[in-house]
Amino acid sequence: MFREALNPHRISLGKLVYTTVTALLLALWVFPMVLTILTSVKTNAEMLLAGPLAIPQEPTLRAFARAWDVLNFNVLLGNSLLYAFAGTSLAIILALLPAYALSRFHIPGGGLIFVVLLTGMMLPQQTVVLPLYDVLRQLNLLDSKWGLIMVHGMYGLPLVLLILRGFMVGIPQELESAARIDGCSDIGVFRHVILPLVTPAVAVAFALNFINIWNEFFFALIFLNSAENLPITVGILKVTQDQYFSSWNLPAAALMMAQLPTVILYILAYRWITQGIYSGAVKG
Amino acid sequence: MTGFAKSGKQRKFATARQGWLPSMWRATKRHWFVYVGGIILPLILYAIFIGYPILRTLYLSLAEWNGLDPKVTMVGLNNYRTLLDDPIFKLSFVNNIKWAVLTLLFPVVAGLLFAVFLHSGKVAFAGLFRSTLFLPATMSLVAIGIMFSLILNPIFGALNEGLRAIGLGFLTREWLGDPNTALYTLLFVFGWFYTGLPLMLFHAGISEIPAELFEAATIEGANGLQTFWYVTLPSLKSVTTVITMLTVITSLKAFDLVMVMTRGGPFNQTSVLGYFMYTESFWNYRFGYGAAISVVILLLSSVFAAIYLRNVAGESLYVS
Repeated sequence: MFREALNPHRISLGKLVYTTVTALLLALWVFPMVLTILTSVKTNAEMLLAGPLAIPQEPTLRAFARAWDVLNFNVLLGNSLLYAFAGTSLAIILALLPAYALSRFHIPGGGLIFVVLLTGMMLPQQTVVLPLYDVLRQLNLLDSKWGLIMVHGMYGLPLVLLILRGFMVGIPQELESAARIDGCSDIGVFRHVILPLVTPAVAVAFALNFINIWNEFFFALIFLNSAENLPITVGILKVTQDQYFSSWNLPAAALMMAQLPTVILYILAYRWITQGIYSGAVKG
Repeated sequence: MTGFAKSGKQRKFATARQGWLPSMWRATKRHWFVYVGGIILPLILYAIFIGYPILRTLYLSLAEWNGLDPKVTMVGLNNYRTLLDDPIFKLSFVNNIKWAVLTLLFPVVAGLLFAVFLHSGKVAFAGLFRSTLFLPATMSLVAIGIMFSLILNPIFGALNEGLRAIGLGFLTREWLGDPNTALYTLLFVFGWFYTGLPLMLFHAGISEIPAELFEAATIEGANGLQTFWYVTLPSLKSVTTVITMLTVITSLKAFDLVMVMTRGGPFNQTSVLGYFMYTESFWNYRFGYGAAISVVILLLSSVFAAIYLRNVAGESLYVS
């Protein structure tokens, strides 16, 4: 270790080799994305003549405009944003008090209640979808935006609860005691001590759950029907129909538009997302 | 209502002396805000949206129902008997097992190796590489499915084109149309999506290993492989358990890629339980039969979910 530290030349050579090897392996992950970008800006004529691997000579964004029209993308985008925002907000609102209760009070059977509330996270959607379909129909919420938002809120609750509770456990007891001495009730402590301190965890949970709902496919596919309610994941399937799929650049452009918002969110909230993945999956 | 808050210890003591129900009632009255919003309301919502659906699925699996008719005919274990003789069920079941095993063997192991490699300090831009590898895991499988359908297309796809360009034209095929390759092609795409998740979880796990352990190993003269085998791996035990359970459950849920890329074809070779359940219920209107498939998924996943929850929420069981 020391010998290496004294020999900077050897380190940089080794580093160069290892970095190159890793970069080559990583090409397997980057290449499909680059290819999609190239395909999306190529004209069909170019695709026919030069093939999928050639660098586009006259890049054009026409495929994006066409994909937008064909998919009625403004409706899909609005819906996806609504589901992700409203579903995540609902999940956070629903999870805040259970997280407070299960982290700072000795509730009889609290451990069991916690685990029961978490099961929704692990449950394959297929195991609840048939009765849920029926419940929503009886509540007149089938093929309705509000129905799907409620389902997303409920099924987003466990992950948010896990993240928020893990964070609230770490808030020092002294802060709460001080507030209690000042005459704060449970509501007061929650509003004036817990809520202001828990904001970073809320941000983590929000970013993570937003991406989850944005990418969700199964529930939306089953519970929705009319074109004006579909989110992007379901609406975009239209481009896999032969008439659109055979124009190559259109599906490529469509899937890039579909994923752009979460990629931007990923870049902006990278720390939160990776931290949330870990505390949501391993630490609790 | 007493004016001051008792400490947790005192409250627990009271529970032991006066019985569970009366003490719960008093605590509820005193902390009504916490109990109503934090326990009772979420449990009611849970009962409507998760608890009832699970029980109802169990019930429906014993029935024949077209999903619309108010009449549900009970048929006992008939659906399960039919399942055992259904070749598509067997195929889907085996495919789910292949899905889990191969995902554990390739993307999960790759994620572990990348995590160790990128943490060793021997690679420049490790953070950038990690965030790039994790990017696919934040994308929807629908978009990824469309992306790879383009690349794998037998006529204009880049993969066959590339193989021809480097003189490996004999390897070109209809990747998703050939019954021998379709499932493995899907699994490759799934692996492409999945690798980032174990990478991130293993990375976080490795970062929590005390540096002294690695230093001690270096002083003892351990090489990279020995350090990995005797220091890194044993410290990652609980992360590994969590990832294994998560991977198996994710495999049992598999649906999106199959729906977008193959629709179970060719000849049901890429059917999985999640997709089979969907077609039987929502295309053939056999809700009872679909429910029976759901119960199989539920039983298989609950074992792994139990182990997972014990690891994730384990210590909290003792706290509250």
